[in-house]
Amino acid sequence: MAAFARLVFFGFLFLTAIYVVISIWSRSVRREKLEREWDEQGRPSDKDTYIKAGMTDYENSLRRKLILLVYVIPTVAVAVIIYVTNFM
Amino acid sequence: MVYVKWGFWGLFWLVVVAFFHYTLPQHDVVRITDTYEKRVDPGSNALFWSNADTGSDPTTPSRDVFFIQTFQTNDKPMIYRNEDTGWGWPPYFKFDTSNLQAEASDLLSKKSEANAQWVVITHYGWRNEFFSIFPNAVGIKPADGPDQTTIPWFNIVFLTVFAAFAWGIRVRWKRFRASRIDPVIEDWTEGRS
Repeated sequence: MAAFARLVFFGFLFLTAIYVVISIWSRSVRREKLEREWDEQGRPSDKDTYIKAGMTDYENSLRRKLILLVYVIPTVAVAVIIYVTNFM
Repeated sequence: MVYVKWGFWGLFWLVVVAFFHYTLPQHDVVRITDTYEKRVDPGSNALFWSNADTGSDPTTPSRDVFFIQTFQTNDKPMIYRNEDTGWGWPPYFKFDTSNLQAEASDLLSKKSEANAQWVVITHYGWRNEFFSIFPNAVGIKPADGPDQTTIPWFNIVFLTVFAAFAWGIRVRWKRFRASRIDPVIEDWTEGRS
């Protein structure tokens, strides 16, 4: 069981690192997109307010929650591999 | 400098290809002639034995390992080991070693038999006589005959996804370098790079 605990522990650490990197990257991509949009729309209002509103939308978006698939996909893959290797 | 650069990337990709060739599953059509177990004491080749902790103590120096003795379609012998990989590397999550050994010994077929029973063995790993290393059998299925081929769907999908990832990271890295690193270096060198 020690081996299983080790896999879960290090797997979780590794996936968390990936999750954090993707979150930061995705947020920065969204921010750049908002800055570009603000420019293209003829600079409607105050830039900071515009971007802050856009980022709040992003925080509640499905897109941000989809990053949780970083945890889900490997777990499902492991379950499928266990089934295929041992029970099929 | 350009030779160093190409040498580095050549070596890098060689290691990547060797790694995948060792780790990814392959299918062999073989005839099983015997199954046995033998005590092994992994030494400098310990990297190529799995010794997984699936309930038993992984720290004991020697243990018994199942082997499957086969002949390939070209009449050359191939010996597989049959070991649990457990929760460790490579991630086959194989726990059914004893069941696999039972299936293997059920499919024995000697050369002299009129209708030889061929099987498809899924395995990973390499056979190397100099280091005494054996590929690890992961699955066994009866084959229709010695000419049966298996399309490696898993490898096709896996390598395609891997290539897409490698490409995506490369493109992003180049973009990052052009926008963040190159300007700084140009700054330092006053444009004389």
